[in-house]
Amino acid sequence: MAKSKKIVLIGHFGVGKTSLIRRFVQNTFSEDYKVTIGVHISKKTIEIPEGESISLIIWDLEGQDDIKKTRPSYLLGTNGFIYVFDLSRPITFENLANELDFLKENYSNIPLKVVGNKMDLVNKEYLTQYSSIFEPFVDFYVSAKTGSRVETLFSKLAKALT
Amino acid sequence: MLEAYKKKYHTNSFQYILVDDSGCVLETDHTILSIQEKNLLQKCHPFFEILNGLLQIENESFEFSCINLDFEDDIIIADVTIHSQSKNKNLIIIEDLTKHYNNYQLTAQTRNESIINSQILVLKNEYLLEKETFKNNFIANFSHQLRNPITASVIFSDLLISSDLNSEQKNYLEIIQSANKDLKNRIEDILDISKIESGKLILIEKVFDLKKLLNDLVIGYKFLASKKGLELNFEIDKNLPAFITGDQYRLKQIIENLINNAISFTEKGSINLNISLNYIRAKKVNLHIVVSDTGCGIEPENMDSIFERFSKTESETINNKGSGLGLAIVKYLISEMQGNIKVESEINKGSKFICNLSFKISDYNQSLKEELLNKQLPNFEKKHHVLLVEDSELIQLTILKILAATGNFYLNIISSGEALIPNIINKNVDLVLLSNSIEGFSTMDLAASVRNLSKDYKKTPIIVLSTEAFKEDIKRFKKAGANDVVTKPFDEKILLDKIYKYIK
Repeated sequence: MAKSKKIVLIGHFGVGKTSLIRRFVQNTFSEDYKVTIGVHISKKTIEIPEGESISLIIWDLEGQDDIKKTRPSYLLGTNGFIYVFDLSRPITFENLANELDFLKENYSNIPLKVVGNKMDLVNKEYLTQYSSIFEPFVDFYVSAKTGSRVETLFSKLAKALT
Repeated sequence: MLEAYKKKYHTNSFQYILVDDSGCVLETDHTILSIQEKNLLQKCHPFFEILNGLLQIENESFEFSCINLDFEDDIIIADVTIHSQSKNKNLIIIEDLTKHYNNYQLTAQTRNESIINSQILVLKNEYLLEKETFKNNFIANFSHQLRNPITASVIFSDLLISSDLNSEQKNYLEIIQSANKDLKNRIEDILDISKIESGKLILIEKVFDLKKLLNDLVIGYKFLASKKGLELNFEIDKNLPAFITGDQYRLKQIIENLINNAISFTEKGSINLNISLNYIRAKKVNLHIVVSDTGCGIEPENMDSIFERFSKTESETINNKGSGLGLAIVKYLISEMQGNIKVESEINKGSKFICNLSFKISDYNQSLKEELLNKQLPNFEKKHHVLLVEDSELIQLTILKILAATGNFYLNIISSGEALIPNIINKNVDLVLLSNSIEGFSTMDLAASVRNLSKDYKKTPIIVLSTEAFKEDIKRFKKAGANDVVTKPFDEKILLDKIYKYIK
């Protein structure tokens, strides 16, 4: 039987957390933006190297402009975090260092991946302009729309949980 | 009765489930979720996988609000409370709040969309602003690059016309002079538009002689109009005050642009400039300025757009007349001066531009007027030493010709900033002409270095010859120690007036 691991996606509203999960779980994408309230929970079992499989219980939390406002109960029993920001909206990563400090202080032993989403909307010049803000922290540049690096993101995190 | 209501409205939205420590359902009602006893609750929805950890903790309560329990055909949004108790009996209470949360969802959707849209709008504005700034800087820099060659071309044409030329040569030269003037005006127009768009165009309020300004202006245009076979009629109200306060350069620019426009689009007939007194109120005079022509007129569909920048009517495009900026500048200047402008036109009969502008009436008296009118270039008893710091050979030669023609100056030319201080100390310099574009040297540093000299030298007047025409550039030069600034392209009179002002 596959082991279950709880993964929580957090970040500002509108950064594409739901779209990333939809791309990963259902391999679909919709341009329509529907606000998440509370939490949606999905499940996907994946194979990880060494012949094992792992069930990812993915918690898609409603967006917050301050991570400290997240309901503590949602974070109970979390095995891994994905912090998502929107590369095309600087306001979603301007406070990135502080947000990550909060996670590191309170959940220091839990694996964390920092993800810049909507890679398809920005160009190289734009990335260069803002890279000093997020470059030191970011683990993956992804696009839920094109699917670029989404699978890799989840499988790398899953591997880190075993 | 009350119990019946309670049962109907309360218990219908609650489900109570008893599970053992593994999550296996011991007992339940089926109010919300259809779960069978002896099944694992975790299999019902992935949310309940949380039980695996929580049920190991005894005598604790955990509250989870707004949990979206989505099933194939339905979504229930509920608050879930888990009471982990001892003896393998744990209570889970689910409260269905779908209706309540759906209402909240609508509000959150509107709020978030509005915030995201405004953030995107701010970003788009920033992007457009950056593009606009880049464009304005490019235009300003490009215009500055053209100033040295135009200055030389204007001044040498002026010098050449007074030399011994035959009539054919004079004709050619007049064409060159006219082209120079045209080129200079177009560059000034482009620079003005870039100043306007970047908010850097500032009006300068000074007392000036209104009638003299108008008379001087008309003399030049009478000549220009007659060359095209046109008549320029000029009528000025005798009741206009002699001296008014305002930006005379911009007033002149408004009237010049309107007359230039009229001459360009009139092939036969006349141009009329009429300036009358609208009213005098609270020490302010309101001028009524009318420029009319007997030209081709403006098509009705173009009447609204003629004041837009880069706007050209079909006939303008065909004949390649003007930069398409003149009337946009006029409109902006008039609006900045709190005035108004309108146009009346009839195809093949002509156009009439009517504007009203207010100026403060000045207290300057007749004696000052005479003083201004009688101001003449001085005739010195001895020659003065001027030091020119300039690395453009064209400008060096231009200034040499201008100063030599007066017979009042010795000119010493250096091309590098390093030699400035030794020259001032060793060569009794009376005035420094300092270019702002000497490679490898900052004009501000050079001016400041002169001001840091001992008292015998530190007061040497410095006039900066600048390719930078913005007000803040001029301020920077003056702050660094320059006495004055002459903007390129300049003509002979402008340069000499400034030099005589500082040489005693």
